[in-house]
Amino acid sequence: MLTGCDVSSLVIDRLCDQAGGRDVAVACFYFDFAAQKEHSPTNVLGVLLKQVVGGLDEVPGEIVRAYENQKKVLGGRGPRLSDIVGMLQTTTSEKRTFICIDALDECVVGHQIKLLGSLSQILQKSPGTRIFVTGRPHIETQVKRRLAGRVTSVSITPRRDDIISYLRARLDEDPIPDAMDSSLEADILKKIPDDISEMCVWLPTLGRLH
Amino acid sequence: MNTFNTINAADHRPNILAWLSPLEPRLRHQDIQESRVEDIGEWLLQTEEFRSWCAGSGGHESDRAVLFCRGDPGAGKTYIR
Repeated sequence: MLTGCDVSSLVIDRLCDQAGGRDVAVACFYFDFAAQKEHSPTNVLGVLLKQVVGGLDEVPGEIVRAYENQKKVLGGRGPRLSDIVGMLQTTTSEKRTFICIDALDECVVGHQIKLLGSLSQILQKSPGTRIFVTGRPHIETQVKRRLAGRVTSVSITPRRDDIISYLRARLDEDPIPDAMDSSLEADILKKIPDDISEMCVWLPTLGRLH
Repeated sequence: MNTFNTINAADHRPNILAWLSPLEPRLRHQDIQESRVEDIGEWLLQTEEFRSWCAGSGGHESDRAVLFCRGDPGAGKTYIR
């Protein structure tokens, strides 16, 4: 329906569309319970930096030097969190940057705190950087505490129009259209949006029947 | 020194990018983008919160650099796609 990641993907697409032709960088990351181990703050901030740098004509000298230095030790050592944060502070100060992070609640709590702390450091140096975050309501306090005074929040409960668009799209994809007639369709489009909570039980069932 | 760095960086660009992080969020974005129903959530982009967040540049004290969207787990955040 209207999931957190749908919202993130919508926002990312809109920002990318707007960025086309202008000097703007858009970097995103989707957290996932299933991959908590790989999603360390260093890897996540690293991939944000990778996307920003990927859009530049040249890799900044600071990053080339850090790479050269780490390559010489231990047969090639990865970047350190503090280096990544420093490099993000520089690159985001030089170019308008949008950072989108989806499902922050799916990240290990310890990592969450480190990540939010790093984002706060980036904003201190580069206050024009825009950061978009989605997550379940329980992490809002943490987000607001770590990014004190810099957060606006919005609730993404689905609207009636969202539910109708979703139902229309799903009905349209119905693989056995013979089972559907116009009065049943009208019933579905009227009754389901009337009771959003019921829908959580309904739709997975509908999916399984197919 | 600068010239050396530029040549070096151009040669090593893919290696440097891979070194920054092994993750590749592009594929996940593509997956979600394809399963998403067009127009859903469009209202969010029209809210005052989104517009002023998007347009802000950190110049004012009232500027909010971070937009947090709380998802209601009851809306089937994970199961309903």
